Amino acid sequence: MNAKSSKLRDLALSVISLLCLIGIWFALSSSRPDFFPTPQMTWDRFMELIEYPVSKISVLGHIWASLRRVAIAFCCAVVLGISLGIAMGWNKKIRAAVNPIFEALRPIPPIAWIPLVILWFGVGEFPKILLVFIGSFMPIVLNTMTGVSLVDPMYLSVSRVFKANTLQTMVHVVLPASIPAIFAGMKAALSSGWMVVVAAEMIASKSGVGFLINRGSESYDVALILCGMILIGVVGALLGVVLTLLERWFCPWTTKKEK
Amino acid sequence: MSNDVKVSVRNLTKCFGDLKVLDNISFDIKKGEFICVVGPTGCGKTTFLNLLTRLIPQTSGEILIDGEPADPKKHNISFVFQEPSAFSWLTTQENIEYGLRIKKMPEDYIKQQSDKVINLLGLDRFRDAYPHEMSVSMEQRVVIGRAFAMNPDLLLMDEPYGQMDIKMRFFLEDEVIKLWKATGSTVLFITHNLEEAVYLAERVLVLSAKPATIKAQVPIEIGRPRKVSDPAFIEVRKQITDMIKWW
Repeated sequence: MNAKSSKLRDLALSVISLLCLIGIWFALSSSRPDFFPTPQMTWDRFMELIEYPVSKISVLGHIWASLRRVAIAFCCAVVLGISLGIAMGWNKKIRAAVNPIFEALRPIPPIAWIPLVILWFGVGEFPKILLVFIGSFMPIVLNTMTGVSLVDPMYLSVSRVFKANTLQTMVHVVLPASIPAIFAGMKAALSSGWMVVVAAEMIASKSGVGFLINRGSESYDVALILCGMILIGVVGALLGVVLTLLERWFCPWTTKKEK
Repeated sequence: MSNDVKVSVRNLTKCFGDLKVLDNISFDIKKGEFICVVGPTGCGKTTFLNLLTRLIPQTSGEILIDGEPADPKKHNISFVFQEPSAFSWLTTQENIEYGLRIKKMPEDYIKQQSDKVINLLGLDRFRDAYPHEMSVSMEQRVVIGRAFAMNPDLLLMDEPYGQMDIKMRFFLEDEVIKLWKATGSTVLFITHNLEEAVYLAERVLVLSAKPATIKAQVPIEIGRPRKVSDPAFIEVRKQITDMIKWW
């Protein structure tokens, strides 16, 4: 009863704060709507966007173009990143050899790679996928490595007492123990990848949500810019939700059941 | 109870560099016996256990199981740590089945063993619960069940109830006796609680301060269930307490 009412209260507060944001938007935009379109104008522009494709691609088509780039790159980053992360977390020699490279490359924001990648690989699909890969590979490797190296030594002792071999210890102890950390890395990687794809599309692309924003900017269509921004936010949030649901399904022991 | 010797420790000595931790320890454990080891803090109880699990090599002497040098590959030695060590990603049942699965036992045997242990522990309601959904004492019961499910040749327990309150301890002590009787395992139980030792053991090994030697072996010939207020119980406890006080 108490928990239920406090949940209701939290929901009400969330709705109020969102309404406040829209209210501020109204207030700020009403003086110069050509410069900062009102929510109503933005909504109208969005409806128009659904009806009239931009560059012969529908809104969903643009979203799909971006998602596809992220999906391909993210899957590659997950497979390679988790493998490398496990190797680095488990084997001190591999970590000593590879970690300096990561430490050197880590401070470079993935977006800083854009000019170089475009110069080398042009403006096709591959360079964008490569950029997203660069953005999402790093967090997955680092989180997996940390998760694996921080597995409670007691679990390893238990595994040893039960005479598990290395492969069994890996599969039955190290992996499950570090899965929460791996998921944290995947979440960071997905949001980073989504950020990078938008940036890459803004610079050189003919499709995708980043392209929408850029088109709006070039044609002084401010409402289109806002539509693109909101789309990016909504899709990014949905991606996060999907990953959280996946995590809950995949590791039920991390979510506390009501007692 | 048969008189077969299950475990035979001969002249066991362990040095870390110049520091002698265990000095020439010899004793036998009979098949199916329940032995408690007591001794002053820091006397090398943990080293002693680690030698028995073969996690570290001894300096000299030998450990025989069924007359053969103890070999982790051949002999089935289980261990219950002081800290609850149930795998957080496995349910009660999966935790109890863990060791059997690692050993690749047949599926119906695994099921049979885990059912037996779960019933003995009365954990049926918590079969599918994860450790974080249980209290610490219940988690420790799962860990103890996991060790017994293996039908170990030798089950080593390192102060498994060190962190429990007194009421819970009595309950768990009765439970471990029940498991021991039901499985016929050979148990070596380390504790610093003398009352616990007298309550559980058929024989108490008293260790001296470092370098540890066996100061005395006290058989406890009190029928079960034992009562801590029984004059015979108090007498034995006092006898062991005095041995430890005299250092």
